[in-house]
Amino acid sequence: MPTYAKRLASRENSSVRIRSVPLIRVLLFLILLALFTGATLTQALAQTPTPDTSAISADQVNEVARGLWCPLCSGVRLDACELKACEQMKEMIAIKLAEGANDEEIRAYFLEQYGPQVFGEPPREGFNWLAWILPVIGLLGGGVFVWFGIRRMTSQQAAVIASTPAQASLPSQSDNYSQKLEQELSRYD
Amino acid sequence: MLFNIGFLILVTALVLAGFGVVLGFAGGQQRNQRLVQSSFHAVYAVAGLVAIAAVMLWYGLLTDQFQLTYVWNHSERALPSFYKFSALWGGQAGSLLFWTLLLSIYSVIVAAVNRRRHQMLMPYVNAMLLVTSLFFLVLLVFAANPFKQAAFVPADGQGLNPLLQNYWMVIHPVMLYLGYVGLAIPFAFAVGALISKRVGNEWVRTVRRWTLIPWMFLSAGILMGSQWAYMELGWGGYWAWDPVENASFLPWLTGTAFLHSIIIQEQRGVMKVWNVVLIWLTYFLVILGTFTTRSGVLESVHSFALSDVGPLFLGFLILILFGFLWLLFKRLYLLKDEQYIDSYSSREAAFLGNNWLFTSITFATLWGTFFPMFSEILTGERISVAAPFFNKVNGPLFLLLFLLMGIGPLLGWRRTGVQALRQQFTWPLIAGVAMGVVAIFFSTNPWPSVGLAVCAFATATIVQEFVRGVLARRVSNDENVLVAMGSLMRRNGRRYGGYIVHLGMVMIAVAIIGNEFFQQTTNVTLTPGEHVTLGGYDLTYVALETNQEANRTEIGARMIIHDSSGKMVGSILPRRNLYIKTPDMPTSEVGLRMTLLEDVYVVLNGWENGGATATFTVFVNPLTIWMWIGGLVLVLGTLIASWPHPVKRTTNVPAGAAVAAAGD
Amino acid sequence: MTEMSDPVSVSLPDALPEADTTPTPRSVLVWRAIFVLVPLVFIVFLALRLGTAKTEHRAEGLAPHLEFTTFDGETINLDDLRGKGVMVNFWASWCDPCREEAALLESTWRREKDNGIIFLGLDYLDQEPAAKAYLAEYDITYPNGPDLRSQVARRYGISGVPETFFIDPEGKIVDIVVGPIANQAQMNSYLDKIRPKEK
Repeated sequence: MPTYAKRLASRENSSVRIRSVPLIRVLLFLILLALFTGATLTQALAQTPTPDTSAISADQVNEVARGLWCPLCSGVRLDACELKACEQMKEMIAIKLAEGANDEEIRAYFLEQYGPQVFGEPPREGFNWLAWILPVIGLLGGGVFVWFGIRRMTSQQAAVIASTPAQASLPSQSDNYSQKLEQELSRYD
Repeated sequence: MLFNIGFLILVTALVLAGFGVVLGFAGGQQRNQRLVQSSFHAVYAVAGLVAIAAVMLWYGLLTDQFQLTYVWNHSERALPSFYKFSALWGGQAGSLLFWTLLLSIYSVIVAAVNRRRHQMLMPYVNAMLLVTSLFFLVLLVFAANPFKQAAFVPADGQGLNPLLQNYWMVIHPVMLYLGYVGLAIPFAFAVGALISKRVGNEWVRTVRRWTLIPWMFLSAGILMGSQWAYMELGWGGYWAWDPVENASFLPWLTGTAFLHSIIIQEQRGVMKVWNVVLIWLTYFLVILGTFTTRSGVLESVHSFALSDVGPLFLGFLILILFGFLWLLFKRLYLLKDEQYIDSYSSREAAFLGNNWLFTSITFATLWGTFFPMFSEILTGERISVAAPFFNKVNGPLFLLLFLLMGIGPLLGWRRTGVQALRQQFTWPLIAGVAMGVVAIFFSTNPWPSVGLAVCAFATATIVQEFVRGVLARRVSNDENVLVAMGSLMRRNGRRYGGYIVHLGMVMIAVAIIGNEFFQQTTNVTLTPGEHVTLGGYDLTYVALETNQEANRTEIGARMIIHDSSGKMVGSILPRRNLYIKTPDMPTSEVGLRMTLLEDVYVVLNGWENGGATATFTVFVNPLTIWMWIGGLVLVLGTLIASWPHPVKRTTNVPAGAAVAAAGD
Repeated sequence: MTEMSDPVSVSLPDALPEADTTPTPRSVLVWRAIFVLVPLVFIVFLALRLGTAKTEHRAEGLAPHLEFTTFDGETINLDDLRGKGVMVNFWASWCDPCREEAALLESTWRREKDNGIIFLGLDYLDQEPAAKAYLAEYDITYPNGPDLRSQVARRYGISGVPETFFIDPEGKIVDIVVGPIANQAQMNSYLDKIRPKEK
């Protein structure tokens, strides 16, 4: 088996120095190695006394995992992640479930272990509030801007109409639809 | 030797493009015919040279010239020729060359089609298109040379990334690039119009079509990417709000906003400044998206390797930013609104609302995508911003957008009176409320019901528009229903094509609601003969099947599907492909049975003892097929909307006449 | 082509408006400033990010702050280890390349622990049961602990696991090895650079 560094280098353009390989590449590489080597894990786990997780089904684990995100990947949900690290996280969920922990406690545990990146959204605290607030400010600010923009325009229009009554004849609202449609279509004839 | 020439060709193209930029600007400024003429020739020559370079790289790929680092990195002897061909856009340098090739082809078409129509604009349009080409050629020559050679000839290549060895992954980037690259054209026209002070309605009309076509490709590209994610990534979804996905979605959002707001400029002569800003934003987001996927600024599962292109991209972004704003501020006095908006209950106001929502979604998506970067720089903490954030923030905004999509067509230009409102809204509102009431019975969660009600409302609006149009033609022209439909499309393709696009969007929305809120899933380990039941389906695991291909082994688990009545409805083969060059990176091919109502979707997670047990994740995804059908409808609608009118439009409707002619 | 040479068709119409000479109102100037500044700030951030991704500040200067609690409950602070050569190894139980060097690390530790050298292991994005099983499997005895919230990993800017830092008695990073250390000779050459001078 070629060494790690060599294999990394061979994946890359040969001019790229190993140091400049971004984290994700290395992680991807680790994905490869981790896949389909789950056997060692179960064997290893057997050595430490852990609660019996046989009563916990994969569906129960995935129920919790659906709310968590792979800390090694970008935008991959834990229940869909096949990394060995993710498999271990799912094992951990099973252990916690067997110990009687609820969803919130398990989430708190992973927050402690991995930090907020496991939640797939910024925590609503401190600086990260900005992530949530700014889109709302943008939306409301834009809304106010558009609203007053229209109001300014309509009032200017009213002034124009008042000064030149001849132009004030807006089309009658009872206009026949087919007539208007035909008028509009005739512009293309 | 041959490939040294390839590099020289790129250098020549670079020099010529730089020359052409100068020719275009100078020719336009001095109105010198010979210079302008030469700028056209520069466009054609650059395209020819880039095409030769691309053909040479294709030749290298197809004939296994592994002395080329690019070929060595992204191909292998056993790779099927189809994928050797597509390996051109499988890596950094090649995809940049492909980008340049598509841009060159677009530029030639634009130059050839418009050289008579827009004589004042074209020198600048040529120059601006060449500026973009020039930038990409600089990248190719100085930072990512596709013709870089090793000192020796390796026996075999590294192979193409297995994830890219998929039919969808071959055409998805082509579509995406056609969309991306094409959006450089409206920007070039906008800049040309500003420089030449020809900011009237002529360029707007040309630009509308040149935006629609790339928009269609971009939409198709995004949907094909989703299709790929759905079939390959095996998590039952299609969109992960991944930075690279967002990079393609952002210009789509601003482009869509532009396609709407350009209509009010055409009809009412307002929003001129906003429209050029939108076009510039779209172009900026295209370059930004190309940059983020290639620089490692945001880590993503899809991104290319980190390389030296980053600083060059940054420089170009700064150039676009300040160059354009400087020009805009200088020309601002030309972009005065000709008329005013009369009322909140007008179609103009609805279009403004549309732009407000699209811009808000763009901002929220951009902010969310780059927030981890801000957060890490400012606080040092690593945050991931994924689907939960975007669904929470963008979900309600899209709901409002679809509501507006239903309301907009019901409002007339300028002002809609109470009576007309009642007449227009009655049926769509009834349809929406009825749908909502029915949906409540199926779901305790109010969101999908509200979503479906809005979809029904928007659909009813579109149907009502078609019915009214057809009835009007039947009365006035005595046509039968089909002929009337045809003449609506033919004579007013822009409007009715637009409605068809809306219909496609509604279908996509329905698919998203179905998949997002009503998906069922279970994870099981089965021995042959055992079965699992989910969502009224019964799946029996039969056996493992192996198939050897040239560069991979395909291992699949045969499953038989029965419906709730016990009738056999299908047989599927969820698979894993093990590639010889990358045995530790197996790809997943889901087993899929699609119906109009729901998909049975099975992922093979693994197996033991040659198939004595196999583990599966089974999904039932309601309505997902409507996403792909909606995509087809969307493309069809765009084609109708952008099809050249049989009878050329006479002139811009004079300000006063617009009132009478455009109201409905 | 032919119509292009027609001089009439290329002359500008007379009525194009000329540049506005009225002074720009302040509100417009504010808007312009916003339009310029917002994207500018964004680009500055992009540049910052690109800069930090590129520069290799890690190999120079003092090792970043390092403090962690081992699986045995002992608190370790790098500052207390001045005067010793320190090897910091980032690993994880799910990482197969880490297993390639695990035995080498432990045997070297047993040989060198009395020579003014200390080994530290930081467990990256891992679960305690699996990690302890890993330590037991390779009978690892030097201090190991979880890198909670990846705080140390981020400070050291690791690009993956395994990654190993060699810190000299003055607390400066001398070498960084990405990937497993291949053999004893390689290991020794790194250790020789961080041995305390007095010996």
